[in-house]
Amino acid sequence: MDRVSKVYGLLWALREVRLELEPGEWVALLGPNGAGKTTLLRLLAALAYPTAGAVELFGQPLPYGNSPLRGKIGFLASGGHLYDNLTVSENLRFFVSLYRGDATAEERRAVLDEVGLHEKTGEYVSTLSLGMRCRLAVAKWRLVKPRLLLVDEPYGALDPSGVDMLNRFLESLCAAGGIVVLATHDVPRVLERCSRAVILSRGRVVFDEPRQDPWDSFHTAFNGVVSSQDTGGPR
Amino acid sequence: MTGVLRQVYWLLWKDFLLEVRRRDNLLSMFFFGLSLLFLFSFAFEITRDNVSRMAPGLLWLAFMFSGTLALGQLFQGDRENDCLDALLLAPMDRGAYYLAKVLFNFSLMLLLEVFILPLFGILFRLDFWHLLPDVFLYTLLGTLGFCVVGVLFAAVTLRARARALLLPVLLFPLMIPVILGTVRSLQIILGAGAAPDLVPWFRLLVGFDLIFITAGFLLLEWVLDG
Repeated sequence: MDRVSKVYGLLWALREVRLELEPGEWVALLGPNGAGKTTLLRLLAALAYPTAGAVELFGQPLPYGNSPLRGKIGFLASGGHLYDNLTVSENLRFFVSLYRGDATAEERRAVLDEVGLHEKTGEYVSTLSLGMRCRLAVAKWRLVKPRLLLVDEPYGALDPSGVDMLNRFLESLCAAGGIVVLATHDVPRVLERCSRAVILSRGRVVFDEPRQDPWDSFHTAFNGVVSSQDTGGPR
Repeated sequence: MTGVLRQVYWLLWKDFLLEVRRRDNLLSMFFFGLSLLFLFSFAFEITRDNVSRMAPGLLWLAFMFSGTLALGQLFQGDRENDCLDALLLAPMDRGAYYLAKVLFNFSLMLLLEVFILPLFGILFRLDFWHLLPDVFLYTLLGTLGFCVVGVLFAAVTLRARARALLLPVLLFPLMIPVILGTVRSLQIILGAGAAPDLVPWFRLLVGFDLIFITAGFLLLEWVLDG
C-alpha cells in the first residue's frame, strides 16, 4: 500500500498509509474503534477503492472486478459471509466452488472434523452460535488456502479450543509462505503469535515494527494511542 | 466459458435452495399478481368487444408489478450477513453473477405466469386456449426483456438507501419497449390485428433482449465494483 487514503463523506478513515507485507508474515493490526482497521482490511481485499494512493498485491495492481488474483485473497469475518438458510455443508460447497471447483465429500468431512463441526454438517447456519460460524469460516479458508488472509476480530467469538485451532491454521498458512493480517482488540492474545504489529490511530499508521522480545516500544506506542483516544483530539 | 457456466450453475443452485427454503419471493409475487388481476377485473369493464385490446395490457401490468416486487428482493439473500462481500471477494465472473440472477428471476416469473395465465383467461372470459403457444412465446420474450433490464437496475440500486422507491422509478421508463412489444403482440394474437403485424414486435423484443443481456453481462462488474 503506497500513500493510501480513504474518505467516507467528510471522514478520513485512512490517511496516507504505507504498508509493505512480506510472505510468511503474521501482522497484528491494532488500534481503538474507528482507527481504520476494517477499512484497511477492506482495501486489501479489494472490497473498496482507495480515495488516493495505490494498492498492489503480489506485484500487480489490486484487482477490481473479475480477476484470478482475487482467488489468492481470503477474508475471515467472524460470523459473517455465510448464508443462514444453507446448511454447514452447503455453505462450504458453495463458497469453495467459486474458488476452485467443488470440494469432495471427503475433503469437506475432513475439514469439518478439523474445526470441530463434523456433527453439524447438515444443520442450518442460522442455528449455529457465533463461535461455530467462525469455525465454519475457518473451514472454508482451510479448503481455499488463500495466499493473503485478512482476519477481522476473530477471538471474541471463539472458545479457547477454537482460538488454538484458528492460531494453528494461521501459523500453517504463514509457514507455507502466506500472509496473515489480523485486526483485533485482543492485544495479549495476538502478541503471542504475530511476527509484526501495526497500530492505527485516527486513520494513520503510528507504529509498525517486527516482533521483538521484550517489546517496550510497542507498549509505549500502544499506551500512547489509548490515552490519546481517551482524551480525544482532532481527526 | 466453462468456468462462467460452472459459476452460473453454483450461483443458481444457491438461489434456488434459498428460495425453496424461504418461499417468500414466489409467494408474495403470486398473491400480489393474483390480487392485481382481481382488482383489474372489478375496476375495468371488460366486454367481448374490448377484451382483446384491454386484457394484454392488464395482464402485463400485473406481471410487471409482481416482477418488480421480486426484483426488489432479488439480492436480499446475498445482503444478509454481508454475503455479497463474500461473493465479490471470490474470483467470480461478475457476468456469471448477472446471468445467474437473470435466470433465477426469469424462472420465478415463468412459474408465476404458468399460474396466472390460466386464471387470467378464466377471469376475463378469454377463449385463448388454442392460442396459448403464441401467447406464451411472446410472454417469454417480454419476461426475458423485463428480467435482463430489471436485474441490472436492481444491482444499480443495491446500495441505495431508498432502493425500493428508486428501482421502479429507474426501471419503468426503460420497460416501455418491452411493454409496447408484448402488449401489441398479444393484442394481435388475440384477434385485434393481422398475423404479419407480429413481425416488427417480435424483432423489437428479440433485439431488446439481446442488447440488454449483453449490456448487463458486461456492465455488472462496473455496477458492483464501481
